[in-house]
Amino acid sequence: MKTHRKTLAFSCAMIIMGMLLSVQYQSTNTAERELYQQRPENLIAMIRNLTDKRSKLSLEMADLSNQLADRRNAFEDQTLVAKSIEQELSKLEIVNGSRAVRGRGLEVTFLSTSMVQYSDLITLVNELWASGAEAVSVSGVRIISSSYIYYRPADGGLEITVSNQPITWPLKILAIGDSNNLEKGLTLPGGFIDMMAFNKIYPTLRQKEALELPAVNLSQRFDYLKEYVAAENTAAQTGTTAAQGS
Amino acid sequence: MWWLVPILALFLGILAGQHAGIQVPAEMVKYLSIAILAALDSVMGGVRSLLERTFNSTIMLSGFFANALLAALLAYMGDRLGVDLYYAAVFVFGVRLFDNLSKIRHFIINFFRNRKIRRASDWDGSPAVKGSAPSREEVL
Repeated sequence: MKTHRKTLAFSCAMIIMGMLLSVQYQSTNTAERELYQQRPENLIAMIRNLTDKRSKLSLEMADLSNQLADRRNAFEDQTLVAKSIEQELSKLEIVNGSRAVRGRGLEVTFLSTSMVQYSDLITLVNELWASGAEAVSVSGVRIISSSYIYYRPADGGLEITVSNQPITWPLKILAIGDSNNLEKGLTLPGGFIDMMAFNKIYPTLRQKEALELPAVNLSQRFDYLKEYVAAENTAAQTGTTAAQGS
Repeated sequence: MWWLVPILALFLGILAGQHAGIQVPAEMVKYLSIAILAALDSVMGGVRSLLERTFNSTIMLSGFFANALLAALLAYMGDRLGVDLYYAAVFVFGVRLFDNLSKIRHFIINFFRNRKIRRASDWDGSPAVKGSAPSREEVL
């Protein structure tokens, strides 16, 4: 009985003792890593190491920020180039007809009763270009460098086609440009309007503030077109080779 | 062999403490250490009293808990009041611990010596007083 009590008391104390010991051991192990437990010499060494490291890192940081600035400048240059190329591209697209355009200009309307020949339309388009038109469309088809105006047999006669698309009546020809100049170009004495009047055709001319011309689907391939190298360049080259030869 | 059980309990306690994952906040580590010192002192005192045959489990256990708690509490209070009672506790318990340890050592040494003498004096059949340490004069 006495031994039992002894054992129980000691075991109880020892269990708690062991728990306390291991907890304390762990705690001091973690606490040793904390700064306020360190010795001053260690702290000084640590500070020295850290300052060295910091100065190295700040050098590296300066280096890297320089690199970053360089890269950013290069990138800005690239974006500038890309932007200007894009602007150029959109300009070219407007000019070559692959973008819809709008602007003030002249509208020429033929009534369905008028007996227009396809050659009349070609003349009209030529006159418009000559009078400074920047974009022309015939019956809703944009005129581009490869457009053609012709005719083909249809039921009950012939129909005029623009780039192989039949025109619709009333026929409307739109031209963007200085509308006064365009109108003058057509109404010159002995000009297009006079010629039409000679054939008893009286198209109406109307200056408009906002004309909208559709885009054309450019699916053309250029297999045979090559840039022509300026002749003087080759001449200079032959000249130098000749000079070398002599 | 009953003393194996408390040693087993010690290891059990250590294991339990390791796996319990109890994190003592850094400012409490100091007070826990003083509590441990007090507990260690109590255990050593218990061992000594066991050897002196004056062991009382109630006194030992109450001393164990009360000393540990009071030591930690007093150290904490001292810190709050600006008196370094921590060092006083360390000193007192340290001195007592070493005192107990030296007494235990004396008992053990005397025990073995006594046994030798007893073996040598077995011939007269005098009854050996088991475990009790005879005084220095008796042994010599």
